Amino acid sequence: MKIKGMVAALAITAMSISTLAACGSGDNQSQEKPETLSVWTYESPTSAQYHAWKKAAEEFTKETGIKTKFETKSFTQIAQNSSQFLDSDQAPDVMESNRGNGSAGMLSSMGLLSDLGPYVKKYGWDKKVTQADSSMARYDDKGIMDGNTWYGLPSYAEFQRVYYNKDMFAKYGVEIPTTMDEFEQACQKFKDAGVTPIDADAGEYGVLWLWWQLVSTKADKQFMADWQMYKHDVNWKSEPLTYATNTINEWLEKGYISRNATGLKAEDTNSSFIKGDYPMYQTGTWNQSRFISQVKTFDWEAHILPGSKLAQGCTGNLMVIPEKSKHKDYAAQLLDKIISDGIQKGIAEEGGIPVSSKVKTSSNEKNQAMIEEYASFSKKDALSYYPDYPAANLTDAIPAALQELVNGTKNPDQVLSSIKDAYTSGVKDMDVKN
Amino acid sequence: MTDATVQTPSQGASGKVRNQSKHIRTWGDWLALVFLIIGALVMLFPLLILAMNAFKTIGDYNANGPLTLPDHPTMEGIASFWKSSNFPLKFVNSFVIALVVAILGVTLSVLNSFALGIGRVKGNRWIILLIMLANMMPQEALLYPLYTMFKQVGIYNSQLSIIVIFTVIQSAYGTYLLSAVYGTFPQAILEAATIDGASRWETLLKVVLPISWPTISVLFVFFFVWTWNEYMIPMAFLMDDNVQTIPLALSALQGQHTIDATQLASASLLSIIPTIIFFIVFQRKLNQGIVAGAVK
Repeated sequence: MKIKGMVAALAITAMSISTLAACGSGDNQSQEKPETLSVWTYESPTSAQYHAWKKAAEEFTKETGIKTKFETKSFTQIAQNSSQFLDSDQAPDVMESNRGNGSAGMLSSMGLLSDLGPYVKKYGWDKKVTQADSSMARYDDKGIMDGNTWYGLPSYAEFQRVYYNKDMFAKYGVEIPTTMDEFEQACQKFKDAGVTPIDADAGEYGVLWLWWQLVSTKADKQFMADWQMYKHDVNWKSEPLTYATNTINEWLEKGYISRNATGLKAEDTNSSFIKGDYPMYQTGTWNQSRFISQVKTFDWEAHILPGSKLAQGCTGNLMVIPEKSKHKDYAAQLLDKIISDGIQKGIAEEGGIPVSSKVKTSSNEKNQAMIEEYASFSKKDALSYYPDYPAANLTDAIPAALQELVNGTKNPDQVLSSIKDAYTSGVKDMDVKN
Repeated sequence: MTDATVQTPSQGASGKVRNQSKHIRTWGDWLALVFLIIGALVMLFPLLILAMNAFKTIGDYNANGPLTLPDHPTMEGIASFWKSSNFPLKFVNSFVIALVVAILGVTLSVLNSFALGIGRVKGNRWIILLIMLANMMPQEALLYPLYTMFKQVGIYNSQLSIIVIFTVIQSAYGTYLLSAVYGTFPQAILEAATIDGASRWETLLKVVLPISWPTISVLFVFFFVWTWNEYMIPMAFLMDDNVQTIPLALSALQGQHTIDATQLASASLLSIIPTIIFFIVFQRKLNQGIVAGAVK
């Protein structure tokens, strides 16, 4: 008897939970006006883009009377488990998704994301966002970026720049470099004065970004098409790769980058730059607003690494509408708010890079310079994205290989060959190569 | 973990020995004491760092690093995590899940082991091995099958899914441990109970349970704390904010490239306080239970 009672109680609990979750109108697509739209993001609530999304949501609510419910998830939860919850009836109406073949591309090829084609036409998103900036939002049927179908909407962009501590440059009598030679001379001067010039971590992605930016000083668009879009086999003996790997090694040997970098993580390098310990720090522009608000003790400026032909970066994470969302039309209306001029301007003011080509200014001159620098590359379609986009395993494999370079346990040739192995097997697993 | 459980009776024994030889401490004792103190400091060090940074402002952290005392202690990090994560709700979720798992897990373990250890069911060794598979399997391997099953039944994205999974996983460990303990249960006592006319049910409740209470209480505390700290399976099964647990709320603080170190420290501090309180409160309660049982 008792056991029967317990089973019954369990069953009732289960049923009540599932019925609560399953309320809604089933397949009756978008017709009924919902009370709330659910939006899942993993951006830090202090970031420019998060503020912009919230503001867009407010405007959306004012116009339609539909409330929005924002929930902050962890990056890992969305990255690892989205294919599961997007396939259930618990899917949100709008979700932030990482861009690239291994994330948004994979989800789109699994049929979990809505084809935004009709909305792109309806709202004219393709006219607001440049071809280069939408490359991360468009995927082909195998989930490879720069395809023909829009599966997401970019709302901001980011790229890698070198942040210079101007006070330290003045103190040691060094000029801010404008060419690669000057950059290395500046490093040497700091080294001679007993200062490690480059703030970099090898515990996460710091050295990887530096390496790919060095690749971007030598690479052309063909190289990038081969690497990112699998057009041809990557030439592993080509100059961009050998130059970048050898240069990182040289900088390590000369002490421009500390060998202790292996034990550091991004947060360590962020805070030591803010503290004023290093004169140069290459990092993503997502740190710009943090530097503006938290760097108190010195003046700084930032430029892309001297001599770069391509900018490392692209549009930021995408807003996608899951295929299982029951309110797609309203979700698209919310997305259109995000790309509206007013909201895009807000991103520019707060230290983010807007993607709407109509917004080009910020009242903060540091942000203005950043936006212009990005536009100069994005206009020419000169973006190198990130090196780990071709396959999901590269996000761990490339940093691991470079860590061995920093440790001194592998020479540049060995490092390149282990990256090559990871790339080859990763791309093979993706099953996308033509 | 097994060590700790097994030690419970032996600690009692050595305590008695020490009481007999009062005030005489050998060099070995002193040496052990010194090592224990060093060990304790090493164990406490991360907690100390956590507590120091929990009350710092981010500016202070940037300027002075993690190893200094806060300049202007602030509760801001704790307050903002409390609000942004809706901490009371997350706490209730974690608490309910951990408590229900601990109760169900222990009950299941006792019933299983009574049959396997004292009942001596045929092939009990193989049955235990089979049950232990739940623990031996990497949790990653369980994710997808469980996801499909729970989605079918309709409890994906609910606390119940986590309760079911961990009741099984924890009770597997509990069964393994308890059935070993019950396997060595003095036959004389059992026979005496049977002669007195006790049914099996009465034997379990009035004889076996009181005697094995120490082990059961330790299992209970372990199950609670382990379930409380679980991360990977809850992450895969709990998507909604309303059903998420504290470790998941913590992980949401960490962005893709950004991390607010001081806020993470205050949130972590906040999240371990309940387990520490639970441990202290229940450990004492359970110890009283043990003593009461022993007097009878």
